[in-house]
This record gives sequence, C-alpha cells and structure tokens, in this order.
Amino acid sequence: MPKAKPQDLLKLLWHQTLSDYVTAISWSPDGAWFAASSAAGEVALYAAKTGEITVLQEAQGESVDALAVSCDGAFLAAGGQAGMVWIWQLGGGTPTLVTTLPHARAWIDRLQWHPQHPELAFSLGRYAQVWDATTQSIVTTLNFESSSVLDLAWHPQGDRLSISGNQSIKTWRRRDWDDDPIVREIGGASGAIAWSPDGTHLASGNNDHSVLVWEDPNPHPWRMQGFPGKVRQLTWSMPKTTPKATTTAKPRLASISGEGVVVWTKDRDPSIGWNAQVLDMHQGVTRAIAFQPHSLLLASAAEDGWICLWHKASHLAQILQGAPAGFSCLAWNSQGHAIAAGGSRGEVFLWTENTKGKGFG
Amino acid sequence: MVDNDIYNTVPVTVLTGYLGAGKTTLLNRILTHEHGKKIAVIVNEFGEVGIDNQLVVDADEEVFEMNNGCICCTVRGDLIRIIGNLMKRRDKFDHLVIETTGLADPAPVIQTFFVDDEVQLQTRLDAVVTVVDARHIWQHWEADEAVEQIAFADVILLNKIDLVTAAELEELEQRIRGMNAIAKIYRTRDAQIEMDALLGVNAFDLNHALQIDPEFLNETAHEHDATVGSIALVEAGELDGEKLNAWLREILRDQGPNIFRMKGILNIAGEDNRFVFQGVHMLFDGRQDRPWKPDETRRNELVFIGRNLEQMDLARRFRACFVAVPSGD
Repeated sequence: MPKAKPQDLLKLLWHQTLSDYVTAISWSPDGAWFAASSAAGEVALYAAKTGEITVLQEAQGESVDALAVSCDGAFLAAGGQAGMVWIWQLGGGTPTLVTTLPHARAWIDRLQWHPQHPELAFSLGRYAQVWDATTQSIVTTLNFESSSVLDLAWHPQGDRLSISGNQSIKTWRRRDWDDDPIVREIGGASGAIAWSPDGTHLASGNNDHSVLVWEDPNPHPWRMQGFPGKVRQLTWSMPKTTPKATTTAKPRLASISGEGVVVWTKDRDPSIGWNAQVLDMHQGVTRAIAFQPHSLLLASAAEDGWICLWHKASHLAQILQGAPAGFSCLAWNSQGHAIAAGGSRGEVFLWTENTKGKGFG
Repeated sequence: MVDNDIYNTVPVTVLTGYLGAGKTTLLNRILTHEHGKKIAVIVNEFGEVGIDNQLVVDADEEVFEMNNGCICCTVRGDLIRIIGNLMKRRDKFDHLVIETTGLADPAPVIQTFFVDDEVQLQTRLDAVVTVVDARHIWQHWEADEAVEQIAFADVILLNKIDLVTAAELEELEQRIRGMNAIAKIYRTRDAQIEMDALLGVNAFDLNHALQIDPEFLNETAHEHDATVGSIALVEAGELDGEKLNAWLREILRDQGPNIFRMKGILNIAGEDNRFVFQGVHMLFDGRQDRPWKPDETRRNELVFIGRNLEQMDLARRFRACFVAVPSGD
C-alpha cells in the first residue's frame, strides 16, 4: 500500500477481512462505527478509529445481503438468503439480538429504516413489510403484486414509502397504509430507486438501460437513455447548505451501468432536461457509488479493484486500491470524513480524510 | 455471450420437461452423482429436492417484459435477481442448474442469458435439457409448453422407455427429430444418463460446431403434421453479405415470435473466415469464426426451429442471398 501523498484526499486507516464477499456496509449516525455483512452470512461491527471488531453473527453458509442502521443508531437490521430479518439493539454495552423475523422461501435483499422513526421496511418476495421497533410488531404488509420487490426507498420526509419492481413504482402513504398506492409506470423493470434528499425528485434505474426521473407530483418523467446495460444503482448529491438557500448547486444524480458512471445535472432550461457527464475510468463492472455528504465529491467502486474519487463529480481526484479481485460496496460516514468499503474477497477497509487533527464524530 | 472468458463464467444448464416427465429424478441424479462438481440449483418447486451440502435456491417464475409486450424481449426477473446474489459466491460452485416448472415457457429463461448484461458477464448457457415422458407425451402435444420445451432443447431425454413399445418409441423419436433437428436425443429409463451428456455440453458456444442430425438431412420428406418443426438448409456457394443481412433482419423482425431457435455456419463472399451465428426468437448473436481450412468444402449450414416455418419460404429466400453467378454457366 503506497503512503498517502499530501495531495491525496483520503488515506487508509486500517484494513481487515471477513470470510467472503462483503455484501453491505452501513454506518452509525455518529460515524463512530459501521456494520458490514458477507456472502458467508457474517455480520460484524467495526470501531472506526481502531478497526476493533464485534462479531454479531458468524459465517453460517447463507448470505446476508442487506444491512441498515436505524436513524438514531439504536438498531441494526440485516436480511438475507435465509429468509430472515435480524434486528440487534446497539445502545450501550453489548449488542443484543432483539428479534428475528423469519420468512420461509424469501431471499431478503432490500431493507431500509425510516428516516426519523425506528421503523424498518424490508422486501419479502412480492410483498414488503414495515416493522416498528417501538412496538416490536409488523405495522403493515404491502402487496407489490406485479413482481418481487426489487428496491424500496422511504421519502426523505418519511411520509411515503416507494417500492419498485416489474412495470411500476408504487408509493404508499404512511398515514394510511391501506390506501391505494400511487403508481408510476415504467416500460421495463425498475431495480433501483432513489428520492432526492429534498424530496422533490424520484429516480428509477431500469433493466431496459434507462433512467426515469419524476419531479413530484408531475406524472410525466424525464427519460435518460444510452446506458451500456441495466442501471443498477442511483444516488443523489446532498445540498451543501440549508435547503432554504437559493444559491445551492443543482443536485446531481449519479448512476452506474456496466463499467460506466454517468452523472446527471438538471439544466436550468426545462426544455433541455438533464445533461449527462460520463466518468470513464473503470475497467470492470461498477458496484457502488456514493456522494460525500453535503458535497459533490463522488466515490465509485468497481470490480477492477479501484475506488475512484471524482472531484465535483467530474474529474478524477484520487484512486483507492487494495481489493485486487474487486470492490463490492462502499459507504461514507454521515460527517463525510471517512469511507468504509468492502471487497469481493471479504476485505473491509477504512479510509479517512488526509487532514491532521480531524477525528470522528 | 460471444466474448466471455470461458474460464471466468459459470456454466448453466436449464432443465425443462412437462409435468411428471422425470425432471426431479434427473435433478437428483445430477446432485448425487460423483462428478466432482459443486452444483448450485435454482428450483421452482421447493421441497422435492433435498440434498445435504448442496446450494438449492427457490425461485418464483417471474417474467419481465423489456419492451412493451414483445415476447422476444421477455426475461426471467427472478433468475436475474437470484443469479446476481449467487454470483457473489462464485467460487462456491462450478455449475448452475435451473429447473423450470413443467408449464414454464423456456424462451424467457434462455433470453435472460442473452439480454441481461450482468448475467451475461458472469455465466454462460451450457445447454437446455428437456426430459420427455415417452408414454404420456402423446397426451400433451396440444400443450404449447410441452412442444416448445422440445423445440428449444439441445439435449432431449426420451424417458420412461420401459413403458412403451419399440415401435412407439421409434415413432416418437421421428416426431421429435422433425421438430428439433439439432438436439441430441437419448433414450433413458429413470432418467439414467451419463453426466458428460448433460453437463459441459457447450451448446450455446459459437465455437462449437453446429450439428444437424445426418438422418434429418437424408430424409427426403419430414412429417410436418405439427406446426412446430425444423428446417435445415445445407448448400455450397458464396453468400452476399448485404443480401443475407437484409433477409435475416427481415425474418427476425417479422417472424421473430415464430422462430424459436436458429443456428448456422455461413460462407460469406470475400471472407476468409466462417461466419457463425445463433438466434433465440428476435435475439441474434453472430460473428466471424475460424478461417476456412484449405481442404474444407465451404458449405453453408443453417437450421431453423419454429412454428409455421413452411410459410416463411426460407429455402428460396436463402438461395436468393447467394452471390449472383456470372452468366454463361
């Protein structure tokens, strides 16, 4: 591992390994620790400063594919091939497994906590469920119907839950789960959805090599095409300043497809729509992208064994290496000071800002 | 599927067959056989297969349309999702077997391996294996699924041969050969078959020679009582690349739904290399192959398997693609 150069943005703090492909990483809200899971079924917590590991679950043969820490940092949820959702309580001392929600015949690969409440939404075949940690009970079971649930996303205000799959995205209102969902039609199947942080736009990455973006509540989306393959992940940049400021930079929408990373910016002229910038560097399938919170610094991880850091989501600032068989996932802490990343051979890395005197939290 | 590094992709066998044909028996044979391969299985009817230490995943048949209802652009969404998850553990298995339900349409399963970029990068279709109940298939000729499973196959097991007479078996084999001129046909009892005939067949590898059953070619008349059949065209001569392209484009566009599979080796005028291709419905995969050998007869061979092929005038249209022979011959 080469030593960090002064101009580097990030430097490697530590490096550890799990026994198989790292499937997911999720940070605590204070940035003090993160959780990682593997295709062998491991779930572990890592202290950001030291890399000290707390194993919550050993390898058990069936993969854990989704992980999420609740907004208050009190709960960690995991789901996977075993058809099980595990929930650990983390506040104070030893983490304890508070509940398991078993679901035979379903491979649970999508879960997300509500942005303000300890409510967990997770996929369950053609259904999604919402589980409330306060009452320890299922709040609702939503029938997506047209196919398995391929992705789900809470609206940033927490009043809606959007679920995507074949032919449509359906959005249910939290205040009345039994009410009919709002349906947004898609030509193909939507495998990735993301609400913009200000809640005004919903983006969908589709298997017909397209991205659709709706400006709420307009039912007619913009359609972006020309991707080399299906669009597998989308992420929005967060505004730099308070949402009230009118001078903030336009939000960027980053997308990955095949080896490519494409960043979209909404033009001031609505008749032009969205402008694309292709970030062309990776030589393997891109596996994950994430904006540094409150900045336009974009990180992209790929099977070529590189994490590229893109200054202003446009030009290459630094390449992080260390997973020769490829990176599988990455996540910034919410302070934006560190990136945790996983590799396809179980590598777990932590890079931190290359600035003296900056700590965690 | 063309440029895959064969050593980096996991071969996939698709196992089809009408209800009760013996699919599960065959699957259990594959799983228990000492072939030294670690096999992952995607099944649609969970519970029938239960072998320790084998990776068995349950799937729900979910057909996704890519483009407004065109049958040629349908894929199996459940398979894409499961294969994506399974491939994170690609070193944990050497071969993937997908068992379809007896009523499944094989086309979306096959098309998944041509259409989805991620699946294409990580796996390669090895062969479609269809198990046929030699006795009861006669009751199922009216079922599209039963017929299409045979028409799409690379390997066909005529199973339960102990329940039919030699004459019945011969008649059945003739009929199946008329439907599918490229499949290898094996007669079995209790789905007993050599593993080499099932796994590692490379039927979708364009490097693999097209094999038309010589008997199919020799027969002067085929029974074309059924609407699903095969047509093989074998002719020497040089093809006009542009004419050929225009014709292939036209039949894919107009007849794609009726063409289940096609395969061919072609001699294009001005080219030193063979041109090889295959198609599934409207999906087409073709490229330059090895150079023709100096002592090799430059012969064009094409096979079409589909519905109502007679109405497509394939032989005449194909001959019209030959380079015009200068007058005076």
